[in-house]
Amino acid sequence: MPHKWGLAVDLDACTGCGACVTACHAENNIPTVGPDQAARGRAMHWIRIERYWEGEFPDVRLRFRPVMCQQCDNAPCEPVCPTYASHHTEEGLNAQVYNRCIGTRYCANACPYNVRFFEFFNPVWEKPLHLQLNPDVSVREVGVMEKCTFCVQRINAGKIQAKAEARELADGDIKPACAQSCPSKALVFGDASDPDSAVSKLRRSSRGAGLLEDLGTRPNVTYFPRHTEA
Amino acid sequence: MDRRAFIKLSALTGSAATLAGCGSPENHVIRFVPDDEIVPGIAQWKPGICPLCQAGCGLQVRVMDADAEVVRNGQRGMMKVAAAKKLEGAASNPINRGGLCPRGQAAIQITYHPDRITHPLKRSGPRGSGAFREVSWEEALAELAGRLDALAGAGAPTLAILTRPRRNLRQTLVATFLERFGAPSPLTYELFGDDVLRRANAISFGREQMPTFDLTRSNYVIGFGADFLGTWNSPVSQSAGYGAMRSGRPGARGRFVQVEARMSQTGASADEWIPVRPGTEGVLALGLAHVIINEQHRPPEAAGTAGALIEGFAGGLADYAPDEVAQRTGVAAARIARLARDFVERRPSVAIIGGAPLAPTNGLFHALAVNALNALAGSVGQPGGLFFMPQAGAPPAGRGGLDQAAAGLLSSADPPIQLLLIDEANPVFTAPAAWKVREALEKVPYIASFACFLDETSVLADLILPDHSFLESWVDARPESGALVAVAAAAPPAMRPLHSTRAMPDVLLDLSRRLQTPFDPPLPETFDAMLSESFASLPESEAGDAWTVAQTDGAWSGDLPQADPAARPAREPVRFVEAQFDGDAAQYPFHFLPYPSQAFLDGSTAHLPWLQELPDPLTSAMWSTWVEIGSEAAARLSIREGDMVEITSSQGSVRAPAIVSPGLAPDVVAMPVGQGHETFTRYASGRGSNPIAILAPMREPDTGALAWAGTRVRVARAGAPEGRLILFAGQMRDIEARER
Repeated sequence: MPHKWGLAVDLDACTGCGACVTACHAENNIPTVGPDQAARGRAMHWIRIERYWEGEFPDVRLRFRPVMCQQCDNAPCEPVCPTYASHHTEEGLNAQVYNRCIGTRYCANACPYNVRFFEFFNPVWEKPLHLQLNPDVSVREVGVMEKCTFCVQRINAGKIQAKAEARELADGDIKPACAQSCPSKALVFGDASDPDSAVSKLRRSSRGAGLLEDLGTRPNVTYFPRHTEA
Repeated sequence: MDRRAFIKLSALTGSAATLAGCGSPENHVIRFVPDDEIVPGIAQWKPGICPLCQAGCGLQVRVMDADAEVVRNGQRGMMKVAAAKKLEGAASNPINRGGLCPRGQAAIQITYHPDRITHPLKRSGPRGSGAFREVSWEEALAELAGRLDALAGAGAPTLAILTRPRRNLRQTLVATFLERFGAPSPLTYELFGDDVLRRANAISFGREQMPTFDLTRSNYVIGFGADFLGTWNSPVSQSAGYGAMRSGRPGARGRFVQVEARMSQTGASADEWIPVRPGTEGVLALGLAHVIINEQHRPPEAAGTAGALIEGFAGGLADYAPDEVAQRTGVAAARIARLARDFVERRPSVAIIGGAPLAPTNGLFHALAVNALNALAGSVGQPGGLFFMPQAGAPPAGRGGLDQAAAGLLSSADPPIQLLLIDEANPVFTAPAAWKVREALEKVPYIASFACFLDETSVLADLILPDHSFLESWVDARPESGALVAVAAAAPPAMRPLHSTRAMPDVLLDLSRRLQTPFDPPLPETFDAMLSESFASLPESEAGDAWTVAQTDGAWSGDLPQADPAARPAREPVRFVEAQFDGDAAQYPFHFLPYPSQAFLDGSTAHLPWLQELPDPLTSAMWSTWVEIGSEAAARLSIREGDMVEITSSQGSVRAPAIVSPGLAPDVVAMPVGQGHETFTRYASGRGSNPIAILAPMREPDTGALAWAGTRVRVARAGAPEGRLILFAGQMRDIEARER
C-alpha cells in the first residue's frame, strides 16, 4: 500500500512559540521579504501560527493554531492549474512542480487555507547567508507559487535511507522540520496508511477535526482542540 | 602519494591550460581540494550548543558541502567547504529533548550574517563614529598585550572584563585570567537577569540557583508572571515538560493557571488567566497559603524554613485573609479560596515565579512568598514539583553593579577602569539611559571588544578582535536548570571559520603568553585542553569517559550527588512592603512593562532576519516595535490600532505604534524589548524604539538588580498611523469572509 502522509496537531500542547515557523524557513529555503514587502502582505510563512482572541478583559482567552498546507485529498488548488504544476502525488501530497508553474496564481485563489505563497521577486540571500541554503530543496524564482511540502525532501531521504538499510520505514523515521523542532511535541507526523503509526491512532480519535471540513477538501491535517475546563 | 596530493596534482596539470585564461588560477586549484571529510550531497551531523541564552540547549548541526569564498592561509578564494546547513535540537540532550525554540532555529544566521566582523579592526575615527581600519591579528594582539603590560606595571586592578553572566568554562577562563592578572572578577550585566530569584532561593532553600520544574509529572501549575514557555529560564525544557503534562499521560491532564498583569505567550496557554495588580503577586501567593493553612489542608510547619521567613506564617498568615488579599491584588476572594484548594487537592502542583513580578522594587518578597507556597504544598524536591539541578562544576564568579561602575567612571578624574575588555555584552543598548553607560564607556581610555558584530557597545571600542561564531569554535555550557540530572555540555567546531576571526578563549590564552611577566603557573595551551581537563572529574558511563561522550553527543549528563544546601543566615521575617514606582500616579498613571520579546529576548538576536520576520505570537507584528495598551484605556485616550503614541516617563519618552490588546490590565502599558537599535547590522539598525531607554534607575534593594518593572509612564496619542506597524496578514479566507 502506498504511504499516505498525515499530520496531527495537538492544540492542547501547542504554546504558539513559533519554533515551527523559523524551522520551516531554515529547512525549505524560504526567503525573508523585508519590511516593505511584508507590509504588503507578501511575507512567506509556509506554516503560520494563527491566533484568536476570545472574550473581553478580564475574562479573555487566546487560542493558537498552527496552519500549514492541509494536503487535501480533494484539493481545490489542483484542478485549477492550467499547467499541472499543482498536482496530487501517489502518497497524497499536494505537490507543486516549480518548473511547470507559470504563475497564474489560480491555485492560491482557490485555496481556502491561504497557504500558497507567490514569489513576487527573485529571492535575495545577502552573501554569505546563501551558504545556509538546503541543497535538498530547490530555490524558487520570481513568478512561481510555492507551498508547504510536508518536507518531501525528508520523506524521500527517509525512504532512501530505509532502502539502503534494507528495512521498512518505521514510524517516526521521518519528521518534517516543524515537527522536529516543536518543543512541546504538539505536531505528530506519520503514515496514515499504517494503522499502527502514532498519527493513525490519533486520527481515529473522535476528538480530531479538519479545518473547514465543510468545504469538502478532505484535509490530511487533523487538529485536536484545546481542552476547556469549567 | 595520498589521495589529496593526487587530486591536487591532477587538478593542476589537467586544468592548467583552461585556467590560464580565467582569472586567478589558485582560486580554481584550491577549489578541487575540499576538506577530506566532505562527500558532496551527504549530510553529516555534528554536536553543538545553542549560544543565545543560558538554557544551554543541545544542537545537532547538519553539515554539508558548499562553495564558499573563504580565507585560507591568508589567501581568499572559492573553496568547497563543509558548511552548517540546519540546526536541530539534540534528542539525547536531557534539557531540550530534541526541541528548539525559534531563536535557536535562527542562530545559524549568526554564522552566515552578511555584517559579521571578518577581521580585526582598529578605530580610525572618533569614538562611536564606526570608522575602523583593518589590522592584522599580529598587530592587534601586540597592541593589546602592550596595553596589558603597561597596566601590569602601573598596578593591575584597573583592568576589567565586562560579560554577560554565563555558566560555562569561557567565563571561568575570563575569571581566571583576571585573577592571575590581579584584577577584580568579571563585571557582568544581564537586563532580564534572575538574580532576585536566585537570592530568594538561597534564602528559602539554601541554593543560589535557578529552579527546575518537573512539569511532566505535575497536575497543577500556577505561574506568577513567568513566561516559562517563551523566554524565561529554560523555555524549551519547560515547553517539553508542559507538552507532556497536557497530552503525555493518558487520562490525566495537568491544569495550568497564570497570574500576570499582561497576557504573555505563556499566559495564552493557561486554562485560567488571572490579571493581577502589578507588584502584588506575592500577596496573592500568601493569600493561597492562608487558605491552605486555615482550612487545615497543610500545617504551616510543612513549609519549614521557607515558611518561617514570612512574618506571621506560623500563625496562619492572619494579614493575608482572602478579603484583604482581594483588596490589594484585585483578585476576588472566592477565586483565591478556590485556587488554594485546587493547589493542594490536585497535587503534585507547583508555583512558578519569574519575569515581571521579580522586577519591581519588592521583587524579593514575591519570590520568597511563592517559595513558601511551594514548600507549604510539599512541592520542593518532589515529583511534579520544583527541583534544583545537580551542578557539574561550580559556577564562575562574577559581580554585578554595572550602574556603580558607570557612576565610578563618571565621577572620577582618574578612571578606575583604564582598560576594558568586552565579551558578549551590549549594555549601551540593554541598560537604562539613566545609568549613563555610554557616557561612562567614553571615559575609559582603552576598550577592546571580542564582538562578532558592530553594536551600540562594540562601536565604542578602540580595538575589535572578532570572535568565531559558535559553529566555528569550541563551545561549552554548564546549565543551571532544565533537567533533573547534571549536564555538562561541550562541542568541537562544526565547521571551519569563514573569516579571519579567532576564538575569544584562545585569544585570551594567547594574550596571557604574550605578557612580559607571564602568568605563573601558566594557563593551558588551548581552550579545548582546558575543556577536556574540566570533564576529568565527571564520572564515566557505559559509553566511555565524560569527555568522549560530550564530544560525540555534545553533552554529558548523569546523576551527581547534590551539594548540601548552603547555610542560611538568620534573617528578620519579611513582610509585604508596597513596591516603589518611579513617577507619581497622578502624573504618570500607567505601569510600564517592558518584556523580553519572543523573537529578540533583550535585543541580542534582533540582527537575524528570520526573527525579524517571525510574527509575534500575540500581535503577529514583524519588523516592528509597538506599545500594547488595554482596550478600555485605548478608548479613553482615543487611541486606535496603529496610531502613533508617545510613552513618557520621568527619564524621557519613546514613540511607537499602538496595538490595542484585550489581555492587559487597564493601568498597564507594555512594550516588547529588542528593537530600537542604533547600530546593529543592516537588519536591526534604525528600526523601532527601545523601551529600556526610558526606564528609571530603580533597584531591588537586596540584590541591587535593576527593577525594570518599577517605572510609571503617561501615554498620549501622538498622531495617525505612519505605516510602521507591520502585521502578518495571513489567515484563512473563510474566516476573513465571515468577519466581513
